[in-house]
Amino acid sequence: MPLIETKNIWKTYTMGSEQVHALSGVTITIEKGEYVAIMGPSGSGKSTLMNLIGCLDTPTQGEYYLNGKQVSTMNDDELAGIRNREIGFVFQTFNLLPRASALHNVELPLIYNGSASADRAAQAESALTKVELADRMHHKPTELSGGQRQRVAIARALVNNPSLLLADEPTGNLDSKTSIEIMRLIDDLHKQGNTIIIVTHERDIATRAHRVLSILDGQIASDELTPEDRRAVG
Amino acid sequence: MIAPVLLKIAVEALWANQLRSGLTLLGVVIGVTSVMTIISALEGMMGAIEEDLAVLGPTTFIVTKAGGVITSHEQWMEMMKRKPIDQKSVDLVSEGCELCERTCARVDGSARLKRGNNTMRRVFIGGSTFNLVDIADMEVAQGRFHSYEDDLYRRRVIFIGDLVREELFGDTDPIGKTLRLNGTKYTVCGVAKKRGTMFGESQDDFAIIPYGTHIKQFGAPGRRGIRMMIKAVSLERLEDAMDEVRMILRAQRHVPYDKPDDFTMLTADNILEALNSLTRIFRMGLIGISSISLVVGGIVVMNIMMVSVTERTREIGIRKAIGARQQHIMLQFLFEALVTTLFGGLIGIVLGYFIAEALVGMLDMQISPSTFAMVAGLSISTGIGIIFGLYPAMKAARLDPIKALSYE
Ligand SMILES: Nc1ncnc2c1ncn2[C@@H]1O[C@H](COP(=O)(O)OP(=O)(O)OP(=O)(O)O)[C@@H](O)[C@H]1O
Ligand SMILES: [Mg+2]
Repeated sequence: MPLIETKNIWKTYTMGSEQVHALSGVTITIEKGEYVAIMGPSGSGKSTLMNLIGCLDTPTQGEYYLNGKQVSTMNDDELAGIRNREIGFVFQTFNLLPRASALHNVELPLIYNGSASADRAAQAESALTKVELADRMHHKPTELSGGQRQRVAIARALVNNPSLLLADEPTGNLDSKTSIEIMRLIDDLHKQGNTIIIVTHERDIATRAHRVLSILDGQIASDELTPEDRRAVG
Repeated sequence: MIAPVLLKIAVEALWANQLRSGLTLLGVVIGVTSVMTIISALEGMMGAIEEDLAVLGPTTFIVTKAGGVITSHEQWMEMMKRKPIDQKSVDLVSEGCELCERTCARVDGSARLKRGNNTMRRVFIGGSTFNLVDIADMEVAQGRFHSYEDDLYRRRVIFIGDLVREELFGDTDPIGKTLRLNGTKYTVCGVAKKRGTMFGESQDDFAIIPYGTHIKQFGAPGRRGIRMMIKAVSLERLEDAMDEVRMILRAQRHVPYDKPDDFTMLTADNILEALNSLTRIFRMGLIGISSISLVVGGIVVMNIMMVSVTERTREIGIRKAIGARQQHIMLQFLFEALVTTLFGGLIGIVLGYFIAEALVGMLDMQISPSTFAMVAGLSISTGIGIIFGLYPAMKAARLDPIKALSYE
């Protein structure tokens, strides 16, 4: 059973009398343990596809199975439950709570699955240790650098041991040196067995993944495996 | 359990936005304080009247500086300006009124009564001349009422209502035993026959001490003045006796012939009438005040909550994106509204309590900060929190996570 299976999914926005197809019939299958990059020009539908895969949104048409469960027909609360248990999301703009400490930010997903206070703190600490930020856990986002903020966001995405880690342009707001650090971290997470999907504009980030999906005008234009010897590292 | 964590999150958010929380609080405090104060005042007015009614027989009437139903501010101001009824008035009536069988002077107070470990707070303590027992509709069940000598020598003897006996003495015989009134030792001389309840309140939670002793204990009646209870020779001559007293007092107080009385005379009939219209005013006042404060407080709460939800759209988006369900977001915001309004309600109750206390000292009536008012104040403020917090909370809960995350 594949981890992700979409069958001819469409996302259509109605703007006044006009219809915009952000996705027009996307069919993809992603197995557990894969490392996939999604590429494509601006406005091609990458974020839309990520949001659907991440259960932040539902398709206008078509079916989406996650772990064999059809999520395209779930309601708001059921989707929230899936997001909480199965998915870790990393955003370009970090999306941390500005007034909360790094530790509290990482704890958030555990609050909503009802974990006890002591477990929450312990799990959040261990996630922060994985991203090498244990020494900064009482700092607020404003007291951290961009790279450190993204590490907090990654720790938050990992804290629930999700089936799937999604990152929509995670290095988009970072300089190139910090970008490489974050990508190394993501590579490591893949080596540890996490399934990862990453959206990027940059070819040398995409080639770190093992498979590259290109999107054009809401459709899959190509789906290629990166040969082992051409994979970017470092 | 998720709710306690959400409560904590709500409190932290309120704390982080002190100015905004303070403003919301103010709206609620104003509403609840006014409800508290006004209900207490109205209840005090009713309480004083019920007290009179309970002891009045059909041939007896009361003379006071001010009383009855006060329906307008002008009337109230006029009554406040009146001279108090003084000892001279009492002497003139007792000597000069032919149709008056007995004239009794009364003053009011309230105090804490204590015996051993049993304490009763805010017990009505009347001070009266020895003849009250012959005038008022009150019977001696045990012991005796005060005597002329008790009054003359200002003895510390106390005549207690049945509820006071029950609470402080239980099954033991109270006669000759002592109790403490605001710390001063008094000897029980008698117990009144049980009167039961009227309008749902016990009529037996009172005590009466001799008039002179009362002055010694609580000080001169001052601006509140003395209340006279006068028993006419017969029911047929009641009106004439009242006219006689009216003439004597108007002469003493130099009221010009074309001016109305500057004192109030009440019979049991008057009082019942007053009580009925007061109950009406009470109800209408309650509904009016509650709805005004509800609307004012509610609008403040709702407005500020809406601003808060809009400002925190991104936060809501983040929480939903990582798995918060609608009920979690809703509860978080509802808790914010509830904590603010409950806290505001408590402050309002404390403030209202002190204002009611201050009024007791200022006005010519018995006002007690009422339990009913406290309960009403707290329910109103919680109601505001739930009703007016619900809409913004639901709005927050239903936000679309993607739209909320891209909100600038
Ligand atoms: N809420 C919306 N309402 C209307 N149109 C939308 C909405 N969201 C996205 N779109 C449209 O859908 C298309 C795909 O958008 P999407 O955000 O997926 O692009 P993208 O590939 O992520 O682009 P970028 O690289 O700039 O992030 C665009 O044409 C966009 O204008
Ligand atoms: Mg995008």
